[in-house]
Amino acid sequence: MREILLYTGCTTPVRLPAYEAATIAVLEKLGVKAREMTDVTCCGAQYIESISPTAFAAMSGRILAVAEKEGLDILAICGACSGSLKITKHELDHDKQLRDEINDILADEGLKYTGKVRVRHLLQVLAEDIGYETIERAIVKPYTGLKVSAHYGCHVTRPFDIVQVDDPENPTILDRLAEIAGAEAVDYAGKTRCCGGPMLAMDESLATKIGQEKVNNIADVGADVILTACEFCDIQLTQVQFDDNFDASRRIPVMPITQFLGPALGIDEERLGFSLNRIDPQEVLAALQGGQA
Amino acid sequence: MNETVYTPTSSFAEELAAIPGGEAVNKCIQCGICTASCAVARYSDEYRPRQLIQKILLGEREEVLKSTLPWLCMTCRLCEERCQEGVSPAEIFHAVRILAAREGHVPQSFRHVVSALIRDGWLLNDSYTDFEEDDREDLGLNTELGWNNEFLKRIKKLIPLEESE
Repeated sequence: MREILLYTGCTTPVRLPAYEAATIAVLEKLGVKAREMTDVTCCGAQYIESISPTAFAAMSGRILAVAEKEGLDILAICGACSGSLKITKHELDHDKQLRDEINDILADEGLKYTGKVRVRHLLQVLAEDIGYETIERAIVKPYTGLKVSAHYGCHVTRPFDIVQVDDPENPTILDRLAEIAGAEAVDYAGKTRCCGGPMLAMDESLATKIGQEKVNNIADVGADVILTACEFCDIQLTQVQFDDNFDASRRIPVMPITQFLGPALGIDEERLGFSLNRIDPQEVLAALQGGQA
Repeated sequence: MNETVYTPTSSFAEELAAIPGGEAVNKCIQCGICTASCAVARYSDEYRPRQLIQKILLGEREEVLKSTLPWLCMTCRLCEERCQEGVSPAEIFHAVRILAAREGHVPQSFRHVVSALIRDGWLLNDSYTDFEEDDREDLGLNTELGWNNEFLKRIKKLIPLEESE
């Protein structure tokens, strides 16, 4: 079985462990063993990134170097982490002076960045490394009569020149995966807009308005579930629906793509953590052919 | 015919242009597609990326560096994807933040997170309680997260962080 190193990022293990578990289970089903990295730090996204380019490159660079020592590519399941690691890799590959500086820091621990490992966001592993055909063949229990809307995550698909995931103006990977699993993918206004998550640190009320607009646009097209490819987006699009200003009758379950694919691939529900979802996904699961797993 | 295109610029714009990411500031033609694309601008009365870049081009150095506005960019890069002139407001405001941080202007919320990061090596150490451990155990996940909390302390000197502004 192919192996890849899972860099979970800070948020998933604490706030959305079902995403982590579902990702491991789904990839295993599809022939990829995701082994979790340890002895690494936060990637540095947003906070360190904003105030110290060198410290940021050192943090993400160290993660890349740890993977290099293991000789395995990195799987990132968070938009911010995948962005940080890819941007840092790009910088270290193109700026020899920065690379030397980072390698001086890493040398104390016997680590070195040479650029051997790739950083793969989950969507790349699913669509490119595993491939749609393999996933299609593995679907044992497709959804029927279910409408889904995809939210891709800004840092997953932009900047395209560096991250190389999907078409940033018209992304399709999540939509195609949903259709392979038997669902109908439905477009909506502002599909490539942000969930508002990165605004939480500075202005929570503004962040909430941005997220709510997105969910309302999705509710307007009658989607039964929102699919995500980043835990930060997933959590944000969920929590804005519990705000006082949001009409509770319009609540839509939010699911990371691997949690959504899991039951269609015949994976035991206990490994997918549906009971932890804040918005009950019961109606989504009821759309599985033959009923719930 | 004079083919020189007039581009307003300032010593502040040049200063930012010298920081990686800030180079494109002088290419801005002030068309406003960034503001039109911006999810933050839709809901904020103050945040207008075009206007902020205009202030940079006009040399309003102190005002821009002391403002919290450059910290409101979500780096979603929708504007950058749409800009026809190759300008990335996210990168420009990133350069502004780096310069602002050097001069001690870092918003309180960022400072808190950075301090916690230096202490723990990751963001959610304080939130990881027995409840989350139980959830992980139920899902068959490891409960020892194994974060490295030494490295950040070792590179702390690279991080400008004033305790008060």
